[in-house]
Amino acid sequence: MDAYLAAIAIIALIYMLLSLGLTLQYGLTGLINFGHVGFFAIGAYTSALLSLQGLPLALTIPAAAVTAGLAAWPIGLISLRLRDDYFAIVTLGFSETVRLVITSEKWLTNGVQGIPGIPRLFETISVGIGAQLAVMGVILAVTLVAIYAMRRIVASPFGRVIEAIRDNEEALQALGKDPAGFKIQVLILGSALAGIAGAFYAHYITYIVPDQFIPLVTFYVWMAIIIGGVGRVSGAIVGTGLLMLFLEGSRFLRDIVPGVSEVEMASLRIGVVGLLLVLFTIYRPQGLMGDFTKR
Amino acid sequence: MKTTRREFLGSIAAGAALVAAPSIVRAQGADVIRIGALCPVTGVGGPYGSGMQKMIVAAAEAVNAAGGASGRKIEIVSEDTQTNPQAAVLAAKKLIEVNKVQAVLGTWSSGVSLAVIPLTNDAGIPLMHCSGAPALSVPPANAKGLGFRFQATNDRFGRAFAEICEKEGFKRPATMAFNNASGIGNTEGFTKAWKAKGGEVVESVVYEPNQASYRSELMKVLAANPDVIVTGSYIADTTIILREWFQTGQPVKWVIPGWAANPQLIEALGAEVTEGIISVDSVSNEGAEAFKAYDAAYQKAMSQAGTNNVYAAMTWDMMTVLALAIEAAGTADMAAVVAKLREVGNPDGKQVSTFAEGKEALKAGKINYEGASSVLDFDQHGDVTPDFGAYFIEGGKLNRRYVVQI
Repeated sequence: MDAYLAAIAIIALIYMLLSLGLTLQYGLTGLINFGHVGFFAIGAYTSALLSLQGLPLALTIPAAAVTAGLAAWPIGLISLRLRDDYFAIVTLGFSETVRLVITSEKWLTNGVQGIPGIPRLFETISVGIGAQLAVMGVILAVTLVAIYAMRRIVASPFGRVIEAIRDNEEALQALGKDPAGFKIQVLILGSALAGIAGAFYAHYITYIVPDQFIPLVTFYVWMAIIIGGVGRVSGAIVGTGLLMLFLEGSRFLRDIVPGVSEVEMASLRIGVVGLLLVLFTIYRPQGLMGDFTKR
Repeated sequence: MKTTRREFLGSIAAGAALVAAPSIVRAQGADVIRIGALCPVTGVGGPYGSGMQKMIVAAAEAVNAAGGASGRKIEIVSEDTQTNPQAAVLAAKKLIEVNKVQAVLGTWSSGVSLAVIPLTNDAGIPLMHCSGAPALSVPPANAKGLGFRFQATNDRFGRAFAEICEKEGFKRPATMAFNNASGIGNTEGFTKAWKAKGGEVVESVVYEPNQASYRSELMKVLAANPDVIVTGSYIADTTIILREWFQTGQPVKWVIPGWAANPQLIEALGAEVTEGIISVDSVSNEGAEAFKAYDAAYQKAMSQAGTNNVYAAMTWDMMTVLALAIEAAGTADMAAVVAKLREVGNPDGKQVSTFAEGKEALKAGKINYEGASSVLDFDQHGDVTPDFGAYFIEGGKLNRRYVVQI
C-alpha cells in the first residue's frame, strides 16, 4: 500500500508542477495555454535522451527546464499579437506539432516505438519503498521551491504587473508598462516548470512514447486548476490533489461496490468529472480556493 | 444550501478515508493466490478488453472448480489500462502494491506492456501480454525473462503477410500503417520479408490516429497503382479507410490484420465493401479441445462465438498455463513457477487441454498444454509462434482458405 500511495503522490506532484506553471500563465497573466503538454513532452524527451547518453540526472533535469523554456520563446513572440482564444488555438497546435515531430524524427526519438529503459532517479538505491520515498522527496522539494517562488512572484511588483495584464492590458499600456516582455517571461517560466515535470515523469515511468503526450494531459491540468481555483497558488495544489484523489480513488470504489463493471466505471469516472466541472462553473466559478476579495 | 470551503474539504477527506479503509482491513488468506487482470477495457482496445478480462476470470473459475492450483484458490483482481501507458502504470502499481498480485495478465497494446514490464520485473512477477512489439522479447524490457508473449510479434505478422501476398501472386504491394509501434511493426515486417523475396513495395504511407477522414493518405497510395494494399491498422481507422476506398471505385485487394478485419468490420461496412478482403490472424487453435472449453466459456460470458476475440483465447491460456505451472511447482513462489512455465507448455509430455486434465496428468509425469490460442510453445524469449490463417471475406463471412506457417 505504501509504495502505491507513494506512486500516486509522485504522479500528483508531477501534475502539481504542471498546474503551477499553468496557474502562472493563465491564472495570473491570463494567457490561455492549451499546449502545456508540449512543453511537458519536450522536458521528458530532453532529459531522457541526455541521460541515456550517460549524463547525470542532476544535469539533465535542469537541461529539460532550459529546453522547454527556450521552446516557449517563439510562442511568446506570437502571443504578443494574438490574444485569448486565438492564442489558445496556436498553443494547442504547438503541442500537437511537438508530438508529431517526436513521432516522425525516429533517428532521435525512436518514433512511435518510444524510448525504453530510461534511468531512474536514485538508481543505486535498491528497488523498493526506499527508492520511492527518495524520488518523492526530491520531487516534493522541487515542488515546494516552485510554490515558494510562485508566492513570492504573486507578492512582488512583477506579480502585480502580470495580474494587471490579465485584468486590463490597455490600461497597463496606458500606465507606461510594456506587457510584451512580461508575457514572454511568464511563458518561459511556466514552460520551464512543465519541462521539469516532464523530466521527472520520464525518469519515473522509465518509458516514454508519443501517445503519452496527448492534449488530454493539458486538459487534466486545466480541470485541476478550474476546480481548485484559477489564479491561486493554493488552488493549483488543492485542485491537483482532488483530481488525483478522484481518478485513483474510483479504482477502490469498484473494489468495495460490487456489480460495477470496468466499462461502466470508466464511463462513470469521465461522467462525474464532467458533472463536477459543470457544477463548479455554475455554483463556484472561482473554484474551491477562489479569490473572493476581488470582483 | 451554503457549504463553506472547510466543510467541503472535510467531507472530501471523510470520503477518501471511507474509500481507503476497506483496503487496509483486507488481508490475504494463506490459501489464496491473487492474480491481476490488466486488460484494455476502455480506449482503443475496448472492443476486446472486456472479453479478455472475463476469460481470465472464467479460466480462474475453472481452476478453482478443479480444486485450485497446488491447493490454493485463484482470486482475480481486475484493472483497466484504458489502453494508456500512464493509467496502466498506476493500475499495475495498485495491483502489485495494494492487491499483492503474483502475476499480471492481459496487457494488450505494446506501449502499455512496455510501460508495465519494468514494474513487474521489479516485483519479480511474470507479465503475460498480447503485444506485438519486438522490444518486449529482449533486454532491457525482458531482462529477467519474466515477460511472456501470447501473441505473434509484429515482425512475424509481417512475414505472414509477405507469404500470403506471394501465394496470391500479387506484384505491386503498397502499405498503410497506423502510426504506432504495432502498426508500423506490421508493415515494416512485411516490407523486410517482401524485399527478401526480391519484391518491391510501390508506396508506403504512415497515417495519424483519430482522423475523421484518411482520403489524402488513401489517394497517395492509390496513385501508385498497387494491386494490393497491406495495412497495419485498427478497426476504427480501417472502417473509414475502406469506406473511402470503396467510394473511389478503384479495384485493389486488401490484406489486413485480423484484429481490424473482423466480424465487427463486416457489420459496420456490409458484405459488398468487404468482399474479397484477406484478413490475416494468428490462428486460434480451433481444432483443439482447449478451444472448445474456451469457446463455451466465452459464449456464456459474452453471448458471442469465441472466434470473435482471438485475444480472449490468449488470456484464457494465460490463466490456465499459469495455474498449471503453479500446480507443477507446488508453490506460489513466482521464481519457481516461471521456471515451470516452459515445462508445462512445451512439448515432451502428455498433451492436455484443460487445467483439470493437466492437474491429473501432472501426478503421472510431464505435460504439454495445447492452448486455445496456439499450441503455446515458448521460445527462449518467452514468445510463441502461432500459425497464421488467411481468411477471405466472402458474402459477409470470414472463410479460412489456408494456414501459413513461418
